[in-house]
Amino acid sequence: MALRGLIVGLFALLAPTDLPAGEARSRSILVLDQSDMRGSFNHQIFAAFQAEVGSHSRSNFTVYAEDLDLERFSGEDYESTLQKMLSAKYRDKPVEVLVVIGECALRVVLRWRDELWPGIPVVFTMVDEADFRRLKPPPDVTGSIVGVKLADSIIAARAVVPDLASVYIVGDAWDRQTVFKNWREEVASAASDLHVVELMGGTLTELRQRVSELPERSAIIYSSMHFDGEGTSLRAGAALSRIAEKANRPIVVAAETLLSPGGVGGYVLLPSVIGAEAGRLVLRIIDGGKLVDIPPKAIEAVAPIFNWGQMERWGVRESDLPPGSEIRFRDATFWDEYRWQTLAVIAVILIQAALISILLHERRRRSDAEFEAHQRLSELAHVGRRATAGELSSSIAHELNQPLGAILTNAETAELILESPSPDLAELKDIVADIRRDDQRASEVIHRLRSFLRRTPFELRDVDLNDIMREVFDFLAAQAAASNVVLYFNAFPEALPIKGDAVQLQQVILNLVVNSIEAMSAMPYGRAVIGRTDLNGGTSAIVSISDFGPGIPSKGFNEIFDPFFTTKKQGMGIGLSIARTIIQAHKGQIWAENQAEGGAVFRLSLPLALH
Amino acid sequence: MAGTVHVVDDDASFRTAVERRLKKAGYSVATYASARQLLDHLPDESQPGCILLDVRIPDLSGPQLQDRLGKLGSTLPIVFLTGYADVRTTVQAIKAGAEDFLTKPVSSEHLLRVVEQAMERHEASRWVKQKLDTLRELLDTLTPRERQVFEGVVQGKINKQIGRELGTTERTIKAHRHQVMEKMKVRSLAELVSIAERVGMLRGEENTPVSG
Repeated sequence: MALRGLIVGLFALLAPTDLPAGEARSRSILVLDQSDMRGSFNHQIFAAFQAEVGSHSRSNFTVYAEDLDLERFSGEDYESTLQKMLSAKYRDKPVEVLVVIGECALRVVLRWRDELWPGIPVVFTMVDEADFRRLKPPPDVTGSIVGVKLADSIIAARAVVPDLASVYIVGDAWDRQTVFKNWREEVASAASDLHVVELMGGTLTELRQRVSELPERSAIIYSSMHFDGEGTSLRAGAALSRIAEKANRPIVVAAETLLSPGGVGGYVLLPSVIGAEAGRLVLRIIDGGKLVDIPPKAIEAVAPIFNWGQMERWGVRESDLPPGSEIRFRDATFWDEYRWQTLAVIAVILIQAALISILLHERRRRSDAEFEAHQRLSELAHVGRRATAGELSSSIAHELNQPLGAILTNAETAELILESPSPDLAELKDIVADIRRDDQRASEVIHRLRSFLRRTPFELRDVDLNDIMREVFDFLAAQAAASNVVLYFNAFPEALPIKGDAVQLQQVILNLVVNSIEAMSAMPYGRAVIGRTDLNGGTSAIVSISDFGPGIPSKGFNEIFDPFFTTKKQGMGIGLSIARTIIQAHKGQIWAENQAEGGAVFRLSLPLALH
Repeated sequence: MAGTVHVVDDDASFRTAVERRLKKAGYSVATYASARQLLDHLPDESQPGCILLDVRIPDLSGPQLQDRLGKLGSTLPIVFLTGYADVRTTVQAIKAGAEDFLTKPVSSEHLLRVVEQAMERHEASRWVKQKLDTLRELLDTLTPRERQVFEGVVQGKINKQIGRELGTTERTIKAHRHQVMEKMKVRSLAELVSIAERVGMLRGEENTPVSG
């Protein structure tokens, strides 16, 4: 048993080396870059390519990549050594598709192909149209023709410097240029109306000096620079940033990766677009696409992109940029960053404002309606008071005639004294004082009556419920005495502040007391009306008016506060209904009960005015 | 005619004014703020007087006080004064024997005239009462038997008839009758009948205790 397990384990260990057929079935893609993929531009091409290929559903490819570094190294020996190296390296790796980046790489691959990878399809990219025509690749070679024109950079330079007079083209010597080398022929046609200075192939030190002294109305167009002219090779981006340090004019660039090292922008090559397109072509071939159906094709891998920081520095206006320009590295404005949040907040505020205005409108309408209701109530209350005043006319007449009687008698006595030969002046003085006092008393009665009968607008003021009760009980004392009714008022010992209309509240209480007096008219003895004020918890005050009459007939209990309901022979039945309306307008309540020991009690509760 | 006016009014101001005016007219004045005060100090009726009473006064109303005074045998005429005269109260007061019913404000002339009338009436009724009291005193001196004889005589009965009713002789009755004439200080039968009528002996049984 143990032996068998050991044997199985050994087979498992040996399995990978024991299956050369499986190795042969694995598929490989070889990418050959003419430069160095560690440079950011080429790296982005490769990354985009890998991402595109990797997105394929059958992504079981091995992608090999080689930097041929043909920009820095050249010569027959180098190239033949490279060929040998690749031949040896990929002898056992059957490459399915060759991907070639750059014109130099395409040139060597076309030369080596028959020997190293006969019949293997080739996909190239980063080859411009002039080179493509010159190299004349065979039909089983396809790819993307990618051009970058000097004319575009001049357009960009004009956008950056609207009154452009001269351009300075900087970079390595023309014969060391790869991507931009065709600009050399283009200079004459693209910039015919400009003064063009080519600062190509000098040392970086000289160049730095030179770009710091450029005249106004000029722009720098950076091609590519890999050599400082003093023996050091550097990357295009690094060279640009060193130039930009010194430059006194904006630098137009032609590659996306040159924006951040100091380029103001321009029509730039987009490595991601280039890499992705190469990836797509490879996948079509792998998926069985025939090369005849996939001819080489020029692709649009250039877009106007500008650097916001540099634009700021050189005073470039956004409106001057070519249409469709994209601006990078802009500090996102609040609007850019929080557009939706801002819109949402604005929407909320607008909705809220609308709601508020609707509510305000409603409130306005409500207060109008309340005003209207109070107006009606005032009129109704006035009618009620006139009716009550009619019932009280004997009492009022009595109160008024009392002082008038005294005045008349006093006046006549005074006349009598004056007729005597020696008038008693002291007595006359007393009499006149008495007349005066009685006159005031009479006018007080009139005043009280008038204020009771006045048509007053409903008005809430701070009043003491005890004062209101006391005034009513004083006012009705004469009426009660005439009816042989004793009025008692037990006031709560402290003030009961409420917000109310004094005249209307007095009307309510007066109405209740007069009702009580009348209710006892048939009683032989014990006629009394007791008024009380009290606290009800901490929030409201209670007034009660109780009598010893026959009480409220049980069938009338629910209706006594309804209009035109009356138990009196001569009553309109509006007093209690007005009373209820008034109390409701004061946010209070009024109700009636029969007392266990006989008689009715009317109570009303009013909210205290809390300070 | 001088006399005392009793003013019952809860209104101090009016009391003072009226008191002042009445004093000027030569009356003496007593004032009361309530019905209770008057009942507590019942006026002396030996002097001519009258009551000036407000309809609306504390404790008892004017008409109620009027009723009470009547029951207490007061002969003081009552003049009502009111701030507001409703028909019901007026009729009730007059029926109960009010001297007059005045409405405030009242002129002094009118008030004094009414007070004077009331005084005269009181004087007159006082005189009548005085006479009556004298007669009653004389009547009280009669023995029960004499009283029986008196009653019989004024009823027009002859001596014989009275004697038979009382179970005695005509002669004894004749002697009693002489005694009665003597005690009542009259000389004729007609005078005796007049007295009997005034003290109410002829009107019914209730005022004339026939048997003692």
